[in-house]
Amino acid sequence: MTAKGVLMEPLPTPLRAAHPAGERLVSVVVPVVERVDDLVALYREFTPELATRGERFEFVFVFDGGFEPSPELLLLSREIADIHLLRFAQRFGETAALRLGIERSRGEVILTLPAYPQVRPEGLAPLLDAVDGGADMAVANRSPRLDSWLNRMQSRAFHQILGGISDHRFHDMACGVRAMSRRVAEALPLYGDMHRFIPAIAMREGFVVQEVAVPQHPRNAGTRVYGPAVYFRRLLDIATFFFLAKFTEKPLRFFGLVGSAFLGVGGIVSFALLVERLQGNPIANRPLLLLGVLLIALGVQLIGLGLVGEIIVHLRAPHRRAYRVRERI
Amino acid sequence: MTVPGTPAAPPPAPDLSVVAPLYNESENVKPLVEWIVQALEGDRRSYEIILVDDGSRDDTWAQVVQAAAADHRIRGLRLGRNVGQTAAMMAGFDHAQGQVVVSLDGDLQNDPRDIPALIAKLDEGYDLVCGWRERRQDKLLLRKVPSWVANRIIRRLTGVPITDNGCSLKAYRRTLLSRISLYAEQHRFIPALSASVGARIAEMPVRHHARRFGESKYGISRTVKVLADLITLKMITTFRSRPLVGFITASLPPLGAALVFTILWLVALTQFAPVKSTALVFPGAAALWLATALYLFMLGLVAEVALRTEQASANATPTAWEVG
Repeated sequence: MTAKGVLMEPLPTPLRAAHPAGERLVSVVVPVVERVDDLVALYREFTPELATRGERFEFVFVFDGGFEPSPELLLLSREIADIHLLRFAQRFGETAALRLGIERSRGEVILTLPAYPQVRPEGLAPLLDAVDGGADMAVANRSPRLDSWLNRMQSRAFHQILGGISDHRFHDMACGVRAMSRRVAEALPLYGDMHRFIPAIAMREGFVVQEVAVPQHPRNAGTRVYGPAVYFRRLLDIATFFFLAKFTEKPLRFFGLVGSAFLGVGGIVSFALLVERLQGNPIANRPLLLLGVLLIALGVQLIGLGLVGEIIVHLRAPHRRAYRVRERI
Repeated sequence: MTVPGTPAAPPPAPDLSVVAPLYNESENVKPLVEWIVQALEGDRRSYEIILVDDGSRDDTWAQVVQAAAADHRIRGLRLGRNVGQTAAMMAGFDHAQGQVVVSLDGDLQNDPRDIPALIAKLDEGYDLVCGWRERRQDKLLLRKVPSWVANRIIRRLTGVPITDNGCSLKAYRRTLLSRISLYAEQHRFIPALSASVGARIAEMPVRHHARRFGESKYGISRTVKVLADLITLKMITTFRSRPLVGFITASLPPLGAALVFTILWLVALTQFAPVKSTALVFPGAAALWLATALYLFMLGLVAEVALRTEQASANATPTAWEVG
């Protein structure tokens, strides 16, 4: 994908040319990562629902490194021209898979679908309707949730934290079922592990994001228990998102704050020692002096880093716009 | 700058663009437009009014649509979300077509009747004319005093003799706007930024009114942030073409401190030989200071690399002004 993944760039061009004969193409992008069910069964389960809408649709399966399409799926893809299979040579993760799927698909509307049934097939139509109704993106909110109370608690905690730091509260960002127009999909800054925050990112980018209640698939229910490493990674993701959301334009606000705290404490310690020295007490044997200097050094380093960040932001300023025009008259 | 969705055959560009950012100013839209139209009645320039709705949560946009329907000179921009005054102004500037652009607050505190005078001043050969709220109608302690202090500091630091940096009522020559790019909360530093690209700047007193409708979006906590931003901006504009010099300058004090501790250490070694082991604190401190100086030097190199990369990609040409 082209390097449009920079936070907050204006849209280059509006929609691609519409399909002839008024027939719209919907691209279903399925990133095959981490967890995968029988994809042929998945295809068979979801296609009838899409077919009833009278739109053309294509399926783009993106296999992450280590995942292979099953022989049945390969056969099916030879039979049906609108099934495309892509495979990464290495493990690149879900965000990269989504990007590739978006890039290689041709549909005007993009529907992302996990490689296992998360929602019931009839839930797709309301999502597409929401996009037709003017939303830039429609995200599924699995409700009612059939999961165990443990998973629901985790999910709630995750969304509470995120809601506190971004301006909108979503209820089910872990759900991979989303519909969006192509222009939105291509403008999303997708990199790293940012797929977890797609609704919040789209929101920050100035797009209209709508949450649609969609019944959860019974096979998606149950209790999932993760290891501590997973929770730790989630926390890091949240921290990254928080930093990007708050300080991409003003890195020094963040680094400066932390750096000043270090600098302040270091300064106080050093000053106290200086006063002691002036009173005649020797300080050559005071390890506290090292602490004071260390803190000052850390503070200076952090502020210096923030400044470099500011210089980079400043240099980028002529190319970026912090706003996105939603409507013009 | 190319603007997405520009119609194929646009009507002739107006001479003057008036840009007003609006955030939750529903009641102010109609009177604002009426005022501007009245103020520009006698002027023979053609003009457009660009109303930028900065993600308002009230029905500001509906008001803008209504106003635009009634008068073809009124254009509206609705932003995807609330991005703040600087970015909203930038949106208006990017879409403005006039050779002269005037910005003013959407809250009726600026008086559009001052616009003709501002433009007349601009025509005397300036690139930027700033309004100066001589009799400011705001709360003394919360708004005027902090503003006075901030403006004094801004003047001192930037060396641009503008009394009132915070006044939104300003007139710009288009060529200036294409040379400065604002981001974050930099609209207050427009004079300073303009001066840094060599613009000719003037100032003139303008009227100021107390707020009639709606609420002010400013508080006193802003002053601290403004000052921090200013210091940052000052550093960046001073050293943006040679960041390494800046960082080397910054590494001199740590280097000096390292030297001081080294001397102290040598003194301790020679004078108090019996307590050699305790004198380890001094070389430690000296090493830390030295490391800091080195680190700053390295950071300067990184900044230099960033600058080179950016300039190579942007094909940056030095600013040159058309004179006359």
